[in-house]
Amino acid sequence: MSTSTVANEIVQNVREKKEFSLLALIRNEYFLYVVSSVAFVAIWHWVAAEQILGKSLATPYAVIKELYRLTSTELAGQTLWGHIWASTQRILIGFILASLVGVPLGLFMALNRTANAIIKPVFDLFKPMPPIAWVSIAILWFGIGEASKVFIIVIGTFVPCLLNSYNGIRLIEPELYDVVRSLGGESRDEIFQVSFPAAFPAIFAGLQISLSIGWTCVLAAELVSARSGLGWIIVQGMKQTKPEMVIGGMLIIALVAWLSSEALAHLEKLLCPWKREIEGL
Amino acid sequence: MRQVKDNIATQKVKISCENIRKIFIQKGDQQVHVLENISLDVYENEFLVILGPGQSGKSTLLRIIAGLETPTEGKAFLDDKPIEGPGPDRGLVFQSYMLFAWRTVLGNVEMGPKLSGVPREERRRIAQHYIDLVGLTGFEKHYPHQLSGGMKQRVGIARAYANKPQVMLLDEPFGQLDAQTRLFMEKETERIWQTDKRTVIFVTNNIDEAIILGDRIVTMEGKLPGRMGMQVYNVDLDRPREPTDMEFLKLRHQITEASELVL
Repeated sequence: MSTSTVANEIVQNVREKKEFSLLALIRNEYFLYVVSSVAFVAIWHWVAAEQILGKSLATPYAVIKELYRLTSTELAGQTLWGHIWASTQRILIGFILASLVGVPLGLFMALNRTANAIIKPVFDLFKPMPPIAWVSIAILWFGIGEASKVFIIVIGTFVPCLLNSYNGIRLIEPELYDVVRSLGGESRDEIFQVSFPAAFPAIFAGLQISLSIGWTCVLAAELVSARSGLGWIIVQGMKQTKPEMVIGGMLIIALVAWLSSEALAHLEKLLCPWKREIEGL
Repeated sequence: MRQVKDNIATQKVKISCENIRKIFIQKGDQQVHVLENISLDVYENEFLVILGPGQSGKSTLLRIIAGLETPTEGKAFLDDKPIEGPGPDRGLVFQSYMLFAWRTVLGNVEMGPKLSGVPREERRRIAQHYIDLVGLTGFEKHYPHQLSGGMKQRVGIARAYANKPQVMLLDEPFGQLDAQTRLFMEKETERIWQTDKRTVIFVTNNIDEAIILGDRIVTMEGKLPGRMGMQVYNVDLDRPREPTDMEFLKLRHQITEASELVL
């Protein structure tokens, strides 16, 4: 242990070697993660193999085998990789479009009262509408092609992008602007030195929410009408009464959605090392 | 140490408040009289403490001098020029620190010079000087969330100082610190002020803090609306001051008696 004193406050660097003990192992959270995951798979296997829920649950092994089969077998002209990419592509296009419009618009609304007064009533009308409610009208307007799916994703991901950017600015301590002004800053400095950097974590949290909503939207769109994508695979599994295909599709969606949100979280760590916790957003 | 009004008339007046009145309009058109007929001169390089309980309008007076509030009537002057808005000639330190969470200690301290367009090398040098002065050497690359309360306020003080203001305005800067850190920070404030003298206006609700730091103490009472009283005390005690000294306690007693403050 090393100790140093800075500004009358004692800084201790504690690095002690922990001794092995059974109790510590049982309480170790990583150990418990493993135990709970293994137990889950085991119970799943048992329930499926004993057919406790009838024949509608596939064993974990059957699901993996089916997924492996799909990586080399073409369904509607595409392997599993093609379908994953089809869904991901739709999300990326919709998500990027929505954030390119939603984030600046939210910032602008928070900084400009006139713009806020004009846009907010319209936005408030659409805000509570679940994006999936747009599926039918999207098909009527854009047909069953890519455009209607991207449209639904844009509608769904737009809301958190805008709301979080807006609230991110609105929740800034007004005294922070006083600091900039008393240091000799102008209104331009208030925006660039306080508003934008202070709202950044909130904006990023909005992007993360958007991305996960994007996965919900793409599924809804693909379940209704598509010839590719993970949602379509699930529908195919249902039509062919292949529970291993349905569950496999669900697992892949969870995996890809998790990976994409991890990537975004990692990006955030790189971009704002000063991140603080944001509550109530 | 007797109660004398403005006996330092030989010194140059830095900040002057003339008949300041401030009324806030609350919901339902209710008027709240925060400041009533306040006149006050602050001399150059003087350490003036404004002492008063919560809601006595002391922070509002400080914000008027800072240029962040406009008085309803009357005016505040800096070097005989009316104060119209905030400016780099007055440095502010807040009770809740108000650091830029997204900037390192160095980034926070160099903000003032940066805003006035000082070149990078030069502002780094200035910032480093004040980081050293407040005793945070080695913490330049830390972010505010990695610092304790006392250290955060050191950054706040260094940031205000680094902009080379003529007047330092501190609004209950140690209100969020524990008693021990607070006492230590008071000593540090005295040391920093004696190293780099400025006119200081220091707002507090703590009578010991006021006597430890102030050349003069102005007490404010806000209990009777429209009759806000002000008393001025000269503190002729040698620095550094000890709260257990006889003279210290006498003055403490005198202020407490006169102002009916529950302190």
